[in-house]
Amino acid sequence: MNTDAHERARRLIALGGAEEGSGADEVASNAWLAEHLEACAGCRGFADNAAETIRGLRAVPMVAGLGLVSMTQMRVRRRALELQRQRERLWLVAVSCTTVTLCALVSTVALWRGFEWLGARAQLASAVWQVGFLVFCVLPAVVAGMLLLAKDTHLADHAGSYQG
Amino acid sequence: MTQESTEIARGLRRRDPDLLDRLIEQYQHRLFRYLLHLTGRRELAEDLFQETWIRVLERGHQFNDKYAFSTWLFTVARNLTIDHMRRKQPASLDGLLNDGETPFDVPATGRASAFDMTLQREQTEQIAAGMQHLPAEYREALTLRFQEGMSLVEIASVARVPLGTVKSRIYRGLSALEPWLKGAPL
Repeated sequence: MNTDAHERARRLIALGGAEEGSGADEVASNAWLAEHLEACAGCRGFADNAAETIRGLRAVPMVAGLGLVSMTQMRVRRRALELQRQRERLWLVAVSCTTVTLCALVSTVALWRGFEWLGARAQLASAVWQVGFLVFCVLPAVVAGMLLLAKDTHLADHAGSYQG
Repeated sequence: MTQESTEIARGLRRRDPDLLDRLIEQYQHRLFRYLLHLTGRRELAEDLFQETWIRVLERGHQFNDKYAFSTWLFTVARNLTIDHMRRKQPASLDGLLNDGETPFDVPATGRASAFDMTLQREQTEQIAAGMQHLPAEYREALTLRFQEGMSLVEIASVARVPLGTVKSRIYRGLSALEPWLKGAPL
């Protein structure tokens, strides 16, 4: 018997007699292994030891403590609640954004009409009331942007009013 | 795959806490044993056990019900273990417990009165000690195969290695444990 035969036999033993191939392969492998074990004391010893080792492995008592399980369940529930709240907040933000966008569209149209009417009443050139409309719309965003940029800068340090 | 997997997938997508409670109880010992074998340290295994379930909650929608839940669960646990090791030092599973750290203890079963039981317990202790001297990849393959009863294909899926590699790891791992069974290395 050559070394390859022993190697093959030991591999088959380690993998539970078969290498999970097709059914026919498995039967042939098992038959070959049985024949080999009849003739080879070394591989028989290996098979006995492997069986003992596997039995020993299955017998190693390792259980998760009750405290660990309940602690995990508690943490998971807490996290689930956090995630649910997060999702609710995101939903609120999405609804708010949609509402704001719709309101902005409606109010922009109304404001445009208003500025147009005022321009006509004051007999201003179109460009003038249109610039007025633009400034009116953009000014709040510009002011807010400047305040945010000023935050945590020397301007804020001196003013002392934008400290986070 | 099965009705059970489908129900689990549906529950995980809903982040159903009752389902998670049930799964934690159902898989507690298997997962803990796997992590303990993988890390070799009880405290670390306990931390990773909790993190694994948090990850299952957060990424539950990624579970594909074509596969067994246990396979996915062990994959999540394995990835977390590797992430932990990477944070500690850039490494794969090779870095686990190969640096002389204290191996875990085999707790007393409380039934070792007869001689056979004592002998068996000694052998089990030897094997548990031997396991801690194996490379983590071998430990993982042996645990999944002989303790979790996974098929070779499932193990390959969890460990993300070719089938041939799984076979080699099981064979080599089992061969490496042989001297420990005889009690020589202790």
